[in-house]
Amino acid sequence: MSLRSDRIGWALLLAVIGFALLAPAFDQTGPLKQSLLKALAGPDAAAPFGYDHLGRSLFSRLAHALRLSLTIAFAATATAAVVGIGLGVLAAWRGGWIDRALGLVADSVLALPALLMVLMMGVILPGMGAAFWAGIAAVQWIEFFRLTRRACRAVMDGPAVEAARIQGFGPAWIFRRILWPEIGPVLRTAMAFGVAGAIAAIAALGFVSVGVPAPTPELGQMMVELLPSWREAPVAVAQPVAACFVLLLSLNLIAGGRA
Amino acid sequence: MRGLTGILAFRLAQAAGVALVVGVMSFLMIQAMPGDAAYRIAAARYGYDMVSSQAADAVRAELNLDAGALAQFGGWIADLLRFDLGRSVVSGEPVAHEIAHQLGATLHLSVVALLIALLIGPPLGVLAGLRAGGLLDRVLLVAAAGLRAMPQFLLGLVLIVALAVEAGLLPSAGHGRAAHVVLPALTLALGLAAGSARIARDLMAGIAASQHYAFARMKGLSDGQVLRHHGLRNIAAPLLTYLGLQFVFLAEGVVVVETIFGWPGIGHALIHAVFHRDVPMVQGTALVMGLGFVVLNALIDLAAGRIDPRGVTA
Amino acid sequence: MTLLKARDISVTDGRDRLVQPLSLTLRPGRALTILGESGSGKSLLAQAILGTLPKGLHASGELHVDDVALDPARPRGNRALWGRLIAVLPQEPWLALDPLMRAGRQVEETHRMVAGSADARAATARDLSELGLSGAGARWPWQLSGGMAQRLAFAAARAGGAPITVADEPTKGLDADRRDDVLALLQRGLRDGGGLLTITHDLDLARGLGGDIIVIRDGCAIEQGEAAKVLADPSHPYTRRLIEADPARWPPRKPSVPGAALLRARDLVVSRGGRALTGPQDIDLHRGEVMGIQGPSGCGKSSLGNALLGLLPVAGSVWRDPSLPKVAFQKLWQDPVAAFPRRLRLGQGIDDLVALHRLDASEVAPLMARLALRSELLDRLPAEVSGGELQRLALLRALLLKPAFLFADEPTSRLDPVTQAETFDLLTGIARERDMAMMIVSHDASLLRASCDRVLRLPDQPPAR
Repeated sequence: MSLRSDRIGWALLLAVIGFALLAPAFDQTGPLKQSLLKALAGPDAAAPFGYDHLGRSLFSRLAHALRLSLTIAFAATATAAVVGIGLGVLAAWRGGWIDRALGLVADSVLALPALLMVLMMGVILPGMGAAFWAGIAAVQWIEFFRLTRRACRAVMDGPAVEAARIQGFGPAWIFRRILWPEIGPVLRTAMAFGVAGAIAAIAALGFVSVGVPAPTPELGQMMVELLPSWREAPVAVAQPVAACFVLLLSLNLIAGGRA
Repeated sequence: MRGLTGILAFRLAQAAGVALVVGVMSFLMIQAMPGDAAYRIAAARYGYDMVSSQAADAVRAELNLDAGALAQFGGWIADLLRFDLGRSVVSGEPVAHEIAHQLGATLHLSVVALLIALLIGPPLGVLAGLRAGGLLDRVLLVAAAGLRAMPQFLLGLVLIVALAVEAGLLPSAGHGRAAHVVLPALTLALGLAAGSARIARDLMAGIAASQHYAFARMKGLSDGQVLRHHGLRNIAAPLLTYLGLQFVFLAEGVVVVETIFGWPGIGHALIHAVFHRDVPMVQGTALVMGLGFVVLNALIDLAAGRIDPRGVTA
Repeated sequence: MTLLKARDISVTDGRDRLVQPLSLTLRPGRALTILGESGSGKSLLAQAILGTLPKGLHASGELHVDDVALDPARPRGNRALWGRLIAVLPQEPWLALDPLMRAGRQVEETHRMVAGSADARAATARDLSELGLSGAGARWPWQLSGGMAQRLAFAAARAGGAPITVADEPTKGLDADRRDDVLALLQRGLRDGGGLLTITHDLDLARGLGGDIIVIRDGCAIEQGEAAKVLADPSHPYTRRLIEADPARWPPRKPSVPGAALLRARDLVVSRGGRALTGPQDIDLHRGEVMGIQGPSGCGKSSLGNALLGLLPVAGSVWRDPSLPKVAFQKLWQDPVAAFPRRLRLGQGIDDLVALHRLDASEVAPLMARLALRSELLDRLPAEVSGGELQRLALLRALLLKPAFLFADEPTSRLDPVTQAETFDLLTGIARERDMAMMIVSHDASLLRASCDRVLRLPDQPPAR
């Protein structure tokens, strides 16, 4: 993947985020107001993207659904990154039983699919938003942990760190000048994939009707609701599908060809 | 350096860790549900229709529930260790029976999906890796990026609309006839194929650029001989290891795909159980998925160790 | 009679000519050696003849191998030579062997698939026993010692029956005794009446092989002739410098006058992974003294120095002059690139060091001048600077801390001979100016003899299993 596709990715992502943030400002109807008379009607001044099967504004619902997905996904991945990087550095730095114990915890959670974790969290925690955040973060921190630990280990045993120590530099300098420049780019990729994974997970559970409960707008749930009317209003169905696709594509382009 | 016993010891520890994580989560699920704890546990154990106040009292005495959460948790985990998964709250059947019944359907679907993925992914990846930067390589990269932007439920949706509803070639949902497996298996397989193609491509490109590959060519072997004797075997072990890790995505895919296509496997049952707050079933399914991952990866470790004996000493 | 004749071979990258037109002839039983430093274009010449130039480089000229005419501009045709007419020895044999194929099979497949031998197994057994490898055929390559891997790769490369052998830097990074093994292997091919083209910067190897020599610099052949004559009486000033750079010819060291005691170790035992690497050692070092440590790879040379620096836990006692700060004990690394943060501009590292220890920033410029370092190097990343310059930058970094002791761990083993000579000249000169004690690790006995007051020899260790 070239630098160019990376830029396209950022442009697409910023466009989606911009829509999610700004659209509600131009919207008078809100995502929940029904007017069954307008069910599946085309665009008008109040609803520039048309209406869904219950006559709710698709413009408004799409913007709120994107807000929800982006907020949960970024929060979950950011939490996972902070926890994973912190524990990864700790494991590589201290080694010994701390390293082994953290490794075993990571390997144990690794065996469990993220969706399963989210579903179990959904029973434990009061809201699906919290369940997505906790369940996804509980699985994603492992990737950051493993990447950080591996990169740090390779660097920690190297002459550059030995040289820094002999010259009197402390752990803070070693992290800022040696470790972070090494792991930063890798973690950026992992973060983009992480956010993409979270967004896909939210939509997938919405699609199989165990995600964010109606009537709160959510991409997967919107798709499954509109699906029965796909012959009458194909444009309406296409909207959440396209939004989801563009969002995931942008994040994959940002992550680049590396895994 | 890890010996054979080291591999097994690690996987055993991992299995114990998985069971513990699932046990803790399930215990928390029980705690989070409304109502009396003893009644809930008794219900979880024997099914709601079998539970009575005597049964609840028996549980209370047995688990020493008045002693606090820690002792309760100990009892819960002890049941788990005895492989006593309890009964489904919904059907009243033992969880183990229910899962044993559904696992067959899931395995059927997974094996077909895996076969399709392996027929498409690695061969394309190897071809692309041999000519890294070539046309096929670039086409595959774009295709893989597009496919990754398409979550499985969306892919399933597209396949249903295109192949079942519009073209009418295949049944969209159901179970029983051979044709029923095609669409869900294809949905699962495409993602796996894309992933394994990319890994096979990276591995092959790495091997093709290695000194030993160059030396084999310089010895006078033909391209086909070099690929057969010094290429394919060398990518096999890391590719297997990668596929083992992908099991988790297969399990995740099974949950979504079975639900969409109405395939009566453990993924379908899991969504059902979550919907009805059937904690024993959720726990059982989670255990099967987690331990399945561990067992499969243990087998893969052993197979990879036979192919690449470095670091494995019996 | 000639085995290979190349006329006016040149290499371009489309804009510049990297190798100027050069002709050479290989005769049976006579060695031809191309001598030059890294970047001189000597490897490109070999790749042009073999048809293995990297993408973007183009060769031209005429090439005849065994009376078959080949066009170096169309390297596809050269493929037919490999294994059958030209055997190519790998640079690093332990990386050239397939790690997943047993040793014997790697020779056997050449016999069967390249030479078309009827009984490849018997031919392999014969090869292995001739090279002292009988019994090693069933082992995996990573179970072989370095020397065994070298001989196995030699057998695998030559099993196709090629009369010509090409060896590109066959002694890169090898100890002296292993170098002799390689020389013996190459001479074996010559004795059988084969042709040999060797590309090297190793004067000892060139001398041992005899035959003819072409000295190459910046893509030009600057001198050629009989090996004995060129090496004894070079006509080109560069050849002379190359020969002068041989540590065996360095002027002997003026002994230092030892100053105050600096470092004292008693009954020092260094171990790695629970295994003792050295017997109990007593070491005394005074200011201004230079001590050498010699021994084969893996014998614990580096660990011994690290133990003296306090980087490793040890058995026994180590006393360092307590009046000195910890940073007065400094080190130089074998691989200078790895000793710098990979993504940190070199100048930033120096600035951070000055800030950390509140050093006088005005000392940097004169010290850089003394070390012949241009100031623009500070704007670069470690990978963008040559090995010699980087090792001098590492020295700069250490000297800023006013060290009383410098542990130099094979500081020049990755550098070209001329750069090595310059670096050592600088290193010993500065140690004398600053009354700095040094401990220098090397596997090169003559280098240590010429630059140290005394040398500690560590015995060989059995390889770890």
